[in-house]
Amino acid sequence: MDILSRATGKAESAELYEELREGITVSFNGGEIEAASSETVRGRALRVIAGGKLGFASTAGGSDEALLKSALVAASHGDPVPFQFTGRNGAAQPVPVLDPTVAQIGVDTLIRWGEEAIRRIRDEFPELIVNALLGRGTAAVLVRTSAGGAHEENRSYLSMSVSAEQIRKGDIWSVYASSSVRQATDLDRNALLDDLLRQLRWGREIVSAPTGTPPVLFLPTGLPVLLLPLMVGFSGMSVFLGTSPLKGRLGETAFDPRLSITDDGAIPYGPRSRTFDDEGVPTSSLPLVAAGVIGNFYYDLRAAALAKADSTGNGIKGSPMGGGGFRVPPGPASRNILVAPEAGSVDELIRDMKDGLVVAGVLGLGQGNIQSGAFSNNVGVGFVVKAGKVVGRVKNTMIAGNAYEVLKDGIRAIGGQTEWVFGSLSVPPILTGKVSVVTQ
Amino acid sequence: MEDRLREAVARSHADYTEARWEQITRSRVAFQRDQLMALESGEEAGGIVRCLVNGAWGIAVFTNPADLPRKIEEAAHLARTASGHVADPVGLAPAQVVEARHEGQMKRDFRGVPLDEKRRLAEAYNKLILGHSPQIASSSVRYTDAWRRTVYANSEGTYIEQGIPDVTLMVAAVARKNGDIQQAFESLGYAAGFDTVQGKEEEARKAAQRAVDLLGAKPVQGGTYTVILDPDLAGVFIHEAFGHICEADFLLKNEPMRKVMHVGTRFGVEYLNVVDDGYRAGERGNTPYDDEGVPWQKAYLIKNGVLTGLMHSRATAHKMNAVPTGNARAVSWEHDPIVRMRNTFIEPGTATLDEMLQGIERGLYACAAFGGQTMFEQFTFSAAYGHEIVDGKIGPMVRDVVLTGNVFHTLQNIEMIGKDFKLEGSAGGCGKGGQWPLPTTTGAPHVRVRNVTVGGR
Repeated sequence: MDILSRATGKAESAELYEELREGITVSFNGGEIEAASSETVRGRALRVIAGGKLGFASTAGGSDEALLKSALVAASHGDPVPFQFTGRNGAAQPVPVLDPTVAQIGVDTLIRWGEEAIRRIRDEFPELIVNALLGRGTAAVLVRTSAGGAHEENRSYLSMSVSAEQIRKGDIWSVYASSSVRQATDLDRNALLDDLLRQLRWGREIVSAPTGTPPVLFLPTGLPVLLLPLMVGFSGMSVFLGTSPLKGRLGETAFDPRLSITDDGAIPYGPRSRTFDDEGVPTSSLPLVAAGVIGNFYYDLRAAALAKADSTGNGIKGSPMGGGGFRVPPGPASRNILVAPEAGSVDELIRDMKDGLVVAGVLGLGQGNIQSGAFSNNVGVGFVVKAGKVVGRVKNTMIAGNAYEVLKDGIRAIGGQTEWVFGSLSVPPILTGKVSVVTQ
Repeated sequence: MEDRLREAVARSHADYTEARWEQITRSRVAFQRDQLMALESGEEAGGIVRCLVNGAWGIAVFTNPADLPRKIEEAAHLARTASGHVADPVGLAPAQVVEARHEGQMKRDFRGVPLDEKRRLAEAYNKLILGHSPQIASSSVRYTDAWRRTVYANSEGTYIEQGIPDVTLMVAAVARKNGDIQQAFESLGYAAGFDTVQGKEEEARKAAQRAVDLLGAKPVQGGTYTVILDPDLAGVFIHEAFGHICEADFLLKNEPMRKVMHVGTRFGVEYLNVVDDGYRAGERGNTPYDDEGVPWQKAYLIKNGVLTGLMHSRATAHKMNAVPTGNARAVSWEHDPIVRMRNTFIEPGTATLDEMLQGIERGLYACAAFGGQTMFEQFTFSAAYGHEIVDGKIGPMVRDVVLTGNVFHTLQNIEMIGKDFKLEGSAGGCGKGGQWPLPTTTGAPHVRVRNVTVGGR
């Protein structure tokens, strides 16, 4: 007897989540391979509604009886649940998320790709220490409910990250580039390395940063400084709880009219795309900001019920910044965040800003009072622009400001080319003012 | 599982083989404002095997215990494939063969505490926060516990069973006035029982009051200051800024940095002592035996201002002609061990806070930590709040305090070390190489540092 039938009679309804992850990874340390790994991990989670109350339990390797018992115990001490699990009507248009060729990529191929990447960087910068991590795999995900909801999907992933470190006494710095895709042909290894090498070339000299509030160009890899507070602020749960500054402001022009942001779970082969979320709700494209106007917040089943809204298919185990998996319950989390491009290449933006700072990466991302939008970060990878040209990199430099203010009154230009960064953000470079820069 | 594990590693044809099987039981309660966001328990089991063949590692992670022999073959095969590409083979420093069983002590075993009682504890703290002031807009209270039972065997004959308790409490308050939102939190964590997170009403009140106070605080003015770090923040500083670069895996393939981190080099003032200790009763960073089977020791990283040692795994110790220190830790069965900190702290000095304040015309008192991050010598960490120091006196509260600098300069710039001391295992954990959150403890007295860069407007 399967676990959902077993739950009948003991609970009004139940929802099973199951994932089977299979994959391989190769890691390079200091320019050569260090380890090759495999994983075959099966985890399950069960939610029940019993006596009108919600219970959650998870397991790897445990029996059905133990899992059901834990969920029922949790429910017996739980609170009345404001929502129901999804039913049969969840049939959705399948989103392509499986590339079967990904599973054909062997350890030897990943090793070769890693070695090629290292060689290309070392050809130009022989003194650098290069590390790399390459992985591929498949996650088979299943969500079934006692109300007849039944969703199953295999999702492939292929990822590559490379870092290059320059170590000199009193001057150590490091650049990093990564890509995570679902379809093998989407992994552009050359583009990833071009990006890394451009940063290395830009950073040959150390230059002191302009201080005060100079023009600051956030490259896609630096833009999470401004987007992370929004990813929290657009969560339907933050809005319901009143911890989001966007509460009660649907329809308001809270951002620069050139800014449009969409949370999309249905882009074919998008890194966080999926046909259904971890509660079995179909995903879709959800405009968060349309021409500066707050369009929607994103919801899982619970936040939606509390806010008297509908789930937007954002009930996901784990945020895009990490964590998650079978052992955590679903919560509102973004899928793929897309910021609409405007016009201009990075080079053009740099030329037009004349004198300023380029931010390609920061330390301390997400630390601090991000709900309020405040940020204050060390510029880990940043470059100085003088007379429209990059002249070198910065050290001991901090930027500070408020993301909501910068994205409302501080945007000078939005670039025309987007790039996938941090796994699931597709964003253009954005040139801003209203960012304070201090340096030692 | 004992026989299976011993037999499987003994049969392996790899140069070295180890296997670890873990069973973790955990529970979690979380409130946000008036919502019970989580009330759950879980039990999971999984394993990892690691084989060394011709100087390369092969690793396999799995959840079906019957797969063990097959996974050892798979790991050996992966290692063999990788070893064809290795020019600088991994070797292992000798470690004593250990046969041991260890269980962490709990005054009140949280496994015997009903889930309902855990809920009531969290709910009471939550109510205290919400009722503290009309300006409190929301709250977040989280209780977690986990019992991690590991069984470890390697092909050298070491066999270890351990049971490690972990209990955490986080209480946070969000205050709101007009459009302004401020948050404050207190966070605790121990390798101990349920009793250690009971009776923490004062922490809940403190968090609530601080969130309200922060509404009236001005953002700190950016610039360079003489800063007094409170023990919480000084502990995070030594972990983030210095601890991470003393993890020898970072130096393994890094010749230039190995020269910088040469044992015997002076890094700070004569009275600076920094320790990483593998076991202190009840502390969250405790690692009686690490995940390579190496027993704990107390290791001085800095003694009298001079670098005296690094933290090692068997592989880094081999490469650097050192002795394994018991710092090879894995966050769970899903990961292989890497070099990590345990209970890391600055030892107390002689100064009082009053003495430290003296002579500071315009400075900053930076308190508690939101978090920190390092990029080698460059570090950054966020204070949860701060106070201006004006003419030797603690002045008005300021917020959005983020400090940054170069760790080598900053250690040299430490002027005074307090005689007080506080060790703190937070509810979060340390992250490195995709492994998060690893239980660690940080500690320090008050520390005064000159010439610290503070971000701000």
